[in-house]
Amino acid sequence: MAGSNEVNANESKMVVPLNTWVLISNFKLAYNMLRRPDGTFDRHLAEFLDRKVPANATPVNGVVSFDVLIDRPNNLLARIYRPAPSTASNAPLLTDLYRAPSADPFPVIIFFHGGSFAHSSSNSAIYDSLCRRFVSLCGAVVVSVNYRRSPEHKYPCAYDDGWAALKWASGEPWLRSGKDAKLRVFLAGDSSGGNIAHHVALRAAESGVEVAGNVLLNAMFGGNCRTESEKRLDGKYFVTIQDRDWYWKAYLPEGADRDHPACNPFGPNGVKLEGLPFTKSLVIVAGLDLVQDWQLAYADGLKKAGHYVKLVYREQATIGFYLLPNTNHFYQVMEEIKNFVSSNLL
Amino acid sequence: MSRSDLGTDPYDSVEDDRWIASASASRGEIDSLLQGAGYRVCSTDLRHVAIGLEQLESAMVGDQCVASSAEAIHYNPSDLTAWVDSMLSELAPDPHLPRHPHITATANTWADPTQQRPSLHGLENHHQHRSVPAVSLQSMDEEEDAAIRLVHLLVSCADYVQRGDSEMAGSLLGQTRLALARVNTGFGIGKVAGYFVDALCRRLYPPPLSAAGGGGSAANPEILHHHFYEACPYVKFAHFTANQAILEAFQGHDRVHVVDFNLMHGLQWPALIQALALRPGGPPLLRLTGVGPPSPDGRDALREVGLRLAELARSVQVRFAFRGVAATRLEHVRPWMFQVAPGEAVAVNTVLQLHRLLGDRASPEGGDAAAAEPIDTVLAWIVGLKPKIVTVVEQEADHNKPSFLDRFTEALFYYSTMFDSLEGGRAGGSHRGGHHHHHHQQQQQTVAEAYLQREMCNIVCCEGAARVERHEPLARWRDRLGRAGLRAVHLGSNAFKQASMLLTLFSGEGYCVEEADGCLTLGWHGRPLISASAWRADDDAALPCDHQTLLVLQDHSSSVTSGSNNVVDGDDHHLRQHSVVRNNDTGSGSSCSRV
Repeated sequence: MAGSNEVNANESKMVVPLNTWVLISNFKLAYNMLRRPDGTFDRHLAEFLDRKVPANATPVNGVVSFDVLIDRPNNLLARIYRPAPSTASNAPLLTDLYRAPSADPFPVIIFFHGGSFAHSSSNSAIYDSLCRRFVSLCGAVVVSVNYRRSPEHKYPCAYDDGWAALKWASGEPWLRSGKDAKLRVFLAGDSSGGNIAHHVALRAAESGVEVAGNVLLNAMFGGNCRTESEKRLDGKYFVTIQDRDWYWKAYLPEGADRDHPACNPFGPNGVKLEGLPFTKSLVIVAGLDLVQDWQLAYADGLKKAGHYVKLVYREQATIGFYLLPNTNHFYQVMEEIKNFVSSNLL
Repeated sequence: MSRSDLGTDPYDSVEDDRWIASASASRGEIDSLLQGAGYRVCSTDLRHVAIGLEQLESAMVGDQCVASSAEAIHYNPSDLTAWVDSMLSELAPDPHLPRHPHITATANTWADPTQQRPSLHGLENHHQHRSVPAVSLQSMDEEEDAAIRLVHLLVSCADYVQRGDSEMAGSLLGQTRLALARVNTGFGIGKVAGYFVDALCRRLYPPPLSAAGGGGSAANPEILHHHFYEACPYVKFAHFTANQAILEAFQGHDRVHVVDFNLMHGLQWPALIQALALRPGGPPLLRLTGVGPPSPDGRDALREVGLRLAELARSVQVRFAFRGVAATRLEHVRPWMFQVAPGEAVAVNTVLQLHRLLGDRASPEGGDAAAAEPIDTVLAWIVGLKPKIVTVVEQEADHNKPSFLDRFTEALFYYSTMFDSLEGGRAGGSHRGGHHHHHHQQQQQTVAEAYLQREMCNIVCCEGAARVERHEPLARWRDRLGRAGLRAVHLGSNAFKQASMLLTLFSGEGYCVEEADGCLTLGWHGRPLISASAWRADDDAALPCDHQTLLVLQDHSSSVTSGSNNVVDGDDHHLRQHSVVRNNDTGSGSSCSRV
């Protein structure tokens, strides 16, 4: 880790509330224990430490959740979050859960949780909270995909699972809305989830599947060279270049480097997006995230390829700012997401 | 760092992106935001935890610390304060080692404690919780509609049954059978719906009283159980986890006594006997008291099991004594029947038994009946035995709700997930051994389904004393056991890891082990189905545990040495002295105490 511990602790302490600092530092510490220098991962301990919550078909603040099996051979699960069905008193029946929340157009947000491709699950408490918030915020049905993780499952497993989820959603009649009975789907994700959202959107564009919009929250991108932000912020705000390298090595194919298109979509090996019906993107970047230069380059790349991108840059935000509702960053970014979704709900 | 005064909305400011301090949190309250993330930390402890995290981080540079942390056993990660403290004490056991002084000095640079802005979703009332199964509806509209319609019909039918409208119920039953024909009965709801239709039918038109219990099968319950044990990992998980806790609790004791509330074939005990045989310092004197129903045909089933276990114990040189206690109902058992000797360490083991002692719940919200139920009596004398450990395994479901419709719906979803796991969880073993092996597995699965069907039938068809499958979720058991004077003994990451590894070895993917507040659950496709927890009476001091002994269990699978024909030759003396003893005399005898 670059820099002295004293300096690092001081800097990150000053920009986040205490409970956020505790939460993210706790993750950082735990994750350090899980990553082994030889590239293997202590999955058992990871699952033991991860705080999970069950799905709950009883409404809590107007939101219910239930798990579905999207792909039986891969045991691919997703957790569906939706507004509580209006018919139910306290115990919606299975039939109610599979009914459209409204006849008017509503967004379906396919959400890919973060964790640098290795950590967390769709039933992780932090992501359960976030998905519930999206439901209330956007009147959406959220599909949180429990994609296969690295290092046990490398590229392209996560993308394949994302694609399977999109295909599944396309086949569900109750997810369609509006007079044209259309699936109004958004792809969203934080960290590795943002990366997955991009690649699933790309595949959708190549396959002629319509996506209403992409929401990328602190998306995970990288490349071989060390950018200025990586060098400047290494180790200062919970994240190090070293851990980023570890996660890429765990996800990317054996022998690949970080200019692999999965990691660096606008790098030397990237796919050209010009002329593809790629969706609109909301790209949120935290100013204290060391990979911001890659995220900004991503936004730039989209723009140069002729695609709509709205960039939201939060100068003093760190990674994970969206996990606890206790800062301006949180509320203002949520507002941006809400506006982006509603204005693209065509 | 600027501060706003109370009364100004800190989120008005556009220029200042940083969070601004405001009103201080109440002392002693749990930080609600961290609670939403799954952690229970008092607001007043936040600083302490933060300092601890910093210290741990500085300490954990270099491979040495990483390696030692890999061997550490973690407990109850939700209690972040305790977790951090325990890791600190492991890394720096010498209290005289200076903590980093400069870190302490800078501790105050944090902003003031968090503003308690209520998060969008508040505390979940854990009593109000429902899971529906991870329904696999293939993306064919018709298929999906049919499955949903089937569920709807079933539940409507149950509703009419509850209301006593047997005419409507009967008519709906007919429709349901028709709907069944259109669903895939290979897995999920389709698979289990047939059994529920039959159960509803039975409830509507009860057969003459001659039939034994629900389900109509005359099969020996122990055989059904044995097949269920083999076909899926739930009972193995229960045994394995309980044995870990018992082993730990028996550390340092020379004379130990296990009380098993439901002996059956004694499948749980060979592994414990073997582990005790191998423990550093040598095995203790092990007494096992097994409770079970009286044998119908004049056999002495309990004693037979005891003899087999004695044989095994002999072969690994563990001094062993067995006693059987035959009882038709658990509440008829009395503590004096166990003849606990002074100085013995006692373990009480209850796998899928305690729920049988529950009665009807008084109110819909689950307030308990005013009168003492059998459960309270039994828990009281369990505590009175001063056990070193009480291992509790229960189904993770609420099948004891006051409303029949609620019970029915819960059971429908619970068993649908269960059946799905039987079908889908067949291990890598399904590729080995070819056709014969596959056929054997299929048979096993069928019998295992029959085992579950009995449970389902009991829940749907029976009432009053006859309804014994009164499953309640872990949350309710925690309350109950707590009120009885028991405190949780947390199951740690070692038990979790062993359980996970067991699953990988013996079962297919799709199963999930989870840690929840010091207890472990095993589920299928994200739905917990069974929970395992350990408890002790309030006054006992926890003994330090030895990691090595626990790892030993890994090498010994819980395979059963079923009743062998080996004659007990040689040292008969051992067997006669320690064989089954009649409870009211001191000589050896061949029968068990009957109640």
